[in-house]
Parts: sequence; C-alpha cells; structure tokens
Amino acid sequence: MAKEAAYVPNILRQGRWVPWLYLGPALVLMSVFILYPGLNTLYLSFRNQNGSDWAYTTCLAGQPCWGIFENYRYALTSSIMRTAFANNLKWILFMVSGTVLLGLLIATLADRVRYEALAKAIIFMPMAISFVGAGVIWKFVYDYGSSQVQIGLLNALITALGGRPVSWLTEPQINTLALIVVGIWMWTGFCMTVLSAAIKGVPTELLEAARVDGANEWTVFWKIRVPLILPTIAVVITTMIINVLKIFDLVYVMTGGNYGTEVIAYRLYIEMYTSYNTGRAAAIAMVLTVVIIPAIIFNIRRFRAQEAMR
Amino acid sequence: MSKRIWKVMVVLVGLALLIAACAPAATPTQAPTQPPAEPTQPPAQPTQPPAEPTQAPASGIDCMGAKPGDELTMLYQWSGQEEARLNEILKPLVDACGIVIKPESTRDQALLDTKVQAGTPPDIAFWNVAQLVQYQDKLVPMDTLGAHRENYADFFVQPGTINGKWLGLPVKADIKTIIWYSPAVFKAKGYTVPTTWEELDALVEKMVANGDVPWSMGFESGDATGWTGSDFIQDILLVKRGPQYVLDIIDGKVPYNDAGVKEAYEIYGKWAKDPKYTVGGAQGTLSTGFLDAIYKVFSDPPEAMMVRQSGFAGGEIARKYPDLVYGEDYDFFMVPGAQGLQGGADWMMAFRDTPAVRALVAYLSSELGGANWAKAGFDLSPNKGATGNYTDPALLKKGEMLANTQGFTPDIGDTIPGGFGKAEWTGIIEFINGTKDLDTVLAEIAKVQAEALGK
Repeated sequence: MAKEAAYVPNILRQGRWVPWLYLGPALVLMSVFILYPGLNTLYLSFRNQNGSDWAYTTCLAGQPCWGIFENYRYALTSSIMRTAFANNLKWILFMVSGTVLLGLLIATLADRVRYEALAKAIIFMPMAISFVGAGVIWKFVYDYGSSQVQIGLLNALITALGGRPVSWLTEPQINTLALIVVGIWMWTGFCMTVLSAAIKGVPTELLEAARVDGANEWTVFWKIRVPLILPTIAVVITTMIINVLKIFDLVYVMTGGNYGTEVIAYRLYIEMYTSYNTGRAAAIAMVLTVVIIPAIIFNIRRFRAQEAMR
Repeated sequence: MSKRIWKVMVVLVGLALLIAACAPAATPTQAPTQPPAEPTQPPAQPTQPPAEPTQAPASGIDCMGAKPGDELTMLYQWSGQEEARLNEILKPLVDACGIVIKPESTRDQALLDTKVQAGTPPDIAFWNVAQLVQYQDKLVPMDTLGAHRENYADFFVQPGTINGKWLGLPVKADIKTIIWYSPAVFKAKGYTVPTTWEELDALVEKMVANGDVPWSMGFESGDATGWTGSDFIQDILLVKRGPQYVLDIIDGKVPYNDAGVKEAYEIYGKWAKDPKYTVGGAQGTLSTGFLDAIYKVFSDPPEAMMVRQSGFAGGEIARKYPDLVYGEDYDFFMVPGAQGLQGGADWMMAFRDTPAVRALVAYLSSELGGANWAKAGFDLSPNKGATGNYTDPALLKKGEMLANTQGFTPDIGDTIPGGFGKAEWTGIIEFINGTKDLDTVLAEIAKVQAEALGK
C-alpha cells in the first residue's frame, strides 16, 4: 500500500490536527456539559451546604465526623439514606427481574399468535405515558378512602369481593412493591420489544433441527433460544438496572418519598431543592454515579464484544 | 400485514389521546402539592370604597415630604384579587400625596435576590421574615422611616428586630390555630364549643361515646405530606407550653426531643391513630388529602365533627359546598386554651430612605392604614388600628382573636432552615404510621434541628 501511495496531494494528506477537528465539537460539548459539571459536583460534595466552606465545618461537636468527607458520611450512613439504598435494592431485584421475565414471556408467547402486533402494541403503550402521568393514574388505582366509598379501582374490587380495603401507598411493607408494579407496567414493553427482536433473530433451522431431534418446546426455549439471545438479555438487564437506579418520578408523584419509600434519586432532589444543601446533594449524586458505573462498563464491554463478533 | 399494524396503531393512539383529553375533567378534587398560599375568603364584601369618599383625602395621612410625582418601586408576591385589594388600601395615600407606585409581582424570590445583589433593589419589598435576616445590612430601620411602633404588639415587633434594629413591619397576617365545625350539627347533637383545652378533651370523649368521630385529619399533600400534622402539634404546644416555648424550639434553645414536644406528639397521636377519634384511623390520616379532610366535616351526613385547619379552609368549604352558610353551616373557633397563635405574616421592608418610602411606612403603620387594610378585607392586619374594622364576619372574628392573643409564632418547620421542615413531616408520618417509635422519631428530628441551627 505504502509504495503505491507514493504521491498523495497535500490536500488529501491528513495532518496531525485533523482528527482533533473532527473530535472538537464532541469534546467541547462533553467538557462543558459532562466533564465540568461532573468535576464541579465532585468539588461541591466536599463543601458545606452552600459551597462557601469545606465540609468539615459542618461537623458538630460530639458527633461522628468524616472531615472533608462529611457529606459522604451522610450519604452512606444516615438512616434515611440507608432506607433509600435498601429500597433501590428492592427496586432492582423486583423491577428488573419483573420487566425482563415478563418481557421475555410475552415476547415468546406473542411470537406464535396472529395478533402479535396488537398484543405487543398494547403492552408497549405505557411506555408512551410520562412517569408523572403514570404516577397519577396509578395513584387513583391505589386510592384508599378512609370512609366507606372506595374510589380506587383496586380497593373498590377488594371491597366488592368482601375484603378490607388496603392503604396501598402508606402501608410500609406494601407501598414500595406497589410502586414497583407501576414501574413494571411501564417498562415491560421496552424489554419485550428488544427481546422480541432478538427472538426473531434466532435462526429457524436451529429450532427445527432440535424439534426433529425430539426436543420439546420447553427444552427448545431453555436450551436454544435463551442461550442464543443471552447477550441481548444481558444488555436489557443492565439498561434496566441503570433506569431503576435513577428512579425518581414515580416516587415523587405517588408517595413524595414518605412512608419509607425513599429512593436515592429522590433524596438527592430533596437535599438540593428542599433543604438547599448542595454539599449533601452532590455527595449523593457522586455515590449514585459510582453505583451506576459498573452497569455502564458492563454494557459497553458487551457492546464491544458484539461489535468484534461482526 | 404492516398496513394492518399501522391501522391498529392509529386506533390505539387515537384512543390514548381521547383518554388523555378526558382525564383532567375527571380529576377535579386532586389536591395541589402545596397548601394554597393564601386563604381566598368568600367574596363577601364587594367593591366597597375603603373610606367614606366624602372624607378629605389629606386628613390623617402624613405625606412625610413626598411630592406629587415621586416614584415608589415595590416588589411583592400578591397577584390578581390580592393585588386589587392592596391597591384599594393604598389608594387614599396615592390620592393624598400623589405618589406614583411602580409595583412588580412575582413569587420568585430569586428575582428579589438578583435585584438586591445588582444594587437595584425595590424601594419596598413585601416578603418573608427570613429576608429581614438575609438583608439586615441593606435595610433601613423602621423607626428612622417614621413607623408607628405603638400600633403593634411586642410579639409582632420582636421577630422584625434583627440584632437590635427594627427592620420589618408585618402588614398582613393569617392565623392557623383554628378548628372548623358545623354549628348546625353541633346544635342537633347537643355539643357546645369548648373554651378550654379540658373542655375540648371532654367534648372529644363525649363524641366518641356517642359514636361520632370527632376529628377529620388528612396528611396527603404530595411532596409536602405531613404539614397538617405539624400544624396541629404546634397548636398543642401553644396550649400546653405557650408561645415562648415554640420560639425557643425555633431558636434551638429547646431541642425537638424535649419532654414538652413528646407530650404534644402523644396527645396528637392518641387522636390521629385511632379510628374512634379520627376518620379511618392512622391510615385514614395518612392517605386522606388535606382538602378532603376539610370536606368530610361538612358532607351530608358528616363523617367527622371537627377539622383543625388554617383560615383558608373557609374558602375551600364555600367552594365545595356553595349552599352552606357561614355562621350556620360552618364556623370556626380558636384552638381552646392556646396561649398564642400560630400563623404566617408578610413583612414590609425598606431598601431606601426616600420621602415616598416614609409616607408609605407611616401610612401603613398608622391607625388609618390598619383600618383601611381591614376594610379592604385583605386577610388580617397586625396593626391595632385594624381591630373591629373588618367587614367580613369571619375576618372580624379572626381579627378579634389576633387582637387578644398573647403571642404569635411562625410555623416551626418553615422557619428552621436546612431541610428541617421536611424532616419534621417525615418524622410525624413515621410516628403516625407506627414504623418508628416516638423517641427515635423525635431524636432524628432533633438531630436535623441541631444541624440546621449549628448547635
């Protein structure tokens, strides 16, 4: 190659600075909107409530103190943040497994029926509703009337069947699960669509070969389909984990973080805009970022591996 | 095939849009996330002229050297009908002195902050008491401006006095230490309005014995859920310990887990958690919207006998049940035995010393200014000149309460900075929900109190 290209006109020759020219706009945008805010957040997380002094000045005599990391002490050890972490864990466990399993189930079942498009469209519909809208809708579904009349759908059903109404959003053992159900309702459509596309990508010859060899549908599903779409499932899971870690809107609209439904992102908002404590808010933001990073790295690795396979 | 998908999609999207279009109409009673900023009293008094028109405009108004054409810039949070009432109050001053008022209305405190930082503050701002502390170095003391100190009770001057300087004047106030009830229902059932805390306690027990639910309580207020509980508890503190105790909590002299606070929580919890005492018990208290809680007392048949709620409840009752008559179907009484009132006030503060500013301060703090404020029916005026001059019967009664009280305390949660209010609400919710025991809850709130006040 090099020998043949002995003569290249100057105008086609790529100088050292040309790649930077291409990179330039992206670099500028990333520095202004990601890098600088990120570094500033890190800095603010070591400062006091309004950024006017270092965080250790907020330490109180006789109380434990982490010096400059005082805001992180709050973000990692305070009881309200521990509740938030526990709840986020619940969200990850139930919502991610719920959306992925249901999505896989529906994608598989819908693959076989004539009205596949309709079924999938219906399941996908909630995705088109904003979180706030969904929160308001489900708040009515869960409504608990302290008097005899139940205007909430769920409690109306329960009372009609002779049961006792449940205050879904305030009972501490039930409410986070009740919120997670809304999350599942919204996001199953997303998982279903992605997984359905993957299922359709499984070569039919493989499935037929297995059937000819005497495999039943159960075996075909677990031994052939699932292993083949495993990379997609992994991507869906990590994407969902990232989504769930950032969950805020549903909690804000439906319970206001009360009754023990606090999540990390909600606490971040409260510290920033209700308590006006930028230090703590920044520290929580940093913690949230650190928690999300592994999922992002995993996603990127998977993506690269897939690219390499092509 | 793909065409059919599109058809299906179009139908579905159309349906979704239809549903979305119908939704707002179906949800009229959904409570707003914040309590209504100010009570909207039933428009009882139409456009009455504030003073007799025949009265000579100059009489009683001291222009303090302001000349016709002098400009006065103002910044306040009022708008619409509130603004109209303010103009009604200021009209005699404008007529007498020819001052040109240039007002600006915003709810955005950032605007005030920006203007002050830019060195172009309004001559006069009507804002919260916290701004007196914030701008203590930039404000002109009220006594240099010729404010009439004698028209204000000490407990209205004291919060406006920062580091020995009297910087702010409360021009408008509303009170929260109020219980709403239905005189008609009380009469039919043989209940009488209590005048002491013991009588209230006995009345509550009597209602329970008769099978009536005494209280209607509702916490639900979105992001601000719990504030009705904190208001009630503060009233109990005012009954049991008095206004100085509440002010000491705000100062941090009394920690929030003090025995007095615990006592108030226990009294409140006895009522708020038990379905015999409040509609739906603990879960009813937690999940009922604060507006719905008001309505329950005046529905037919009533679900409860009483609701403790601020002055704005009157406007809500009138809106929800337009046929009910104030004084017969709904009325209020002061929380019996309260040694002081809980409420909010708007504070007048001056950033400049000009003749026009002096004229305004002197006018609003004069007896005439107080009387005109009362006649305009713009909530209550802490000015002693206001007493007896209200035309709206509810305001007249509230004005009487304000004139006779021994103390006036702001909301504890709103006044302590740094997330204390939210922590207080959360704590009350956890206490009512039974997820934490009272000592833990109070210790946690006390911790936030100490952090917020740096003590």
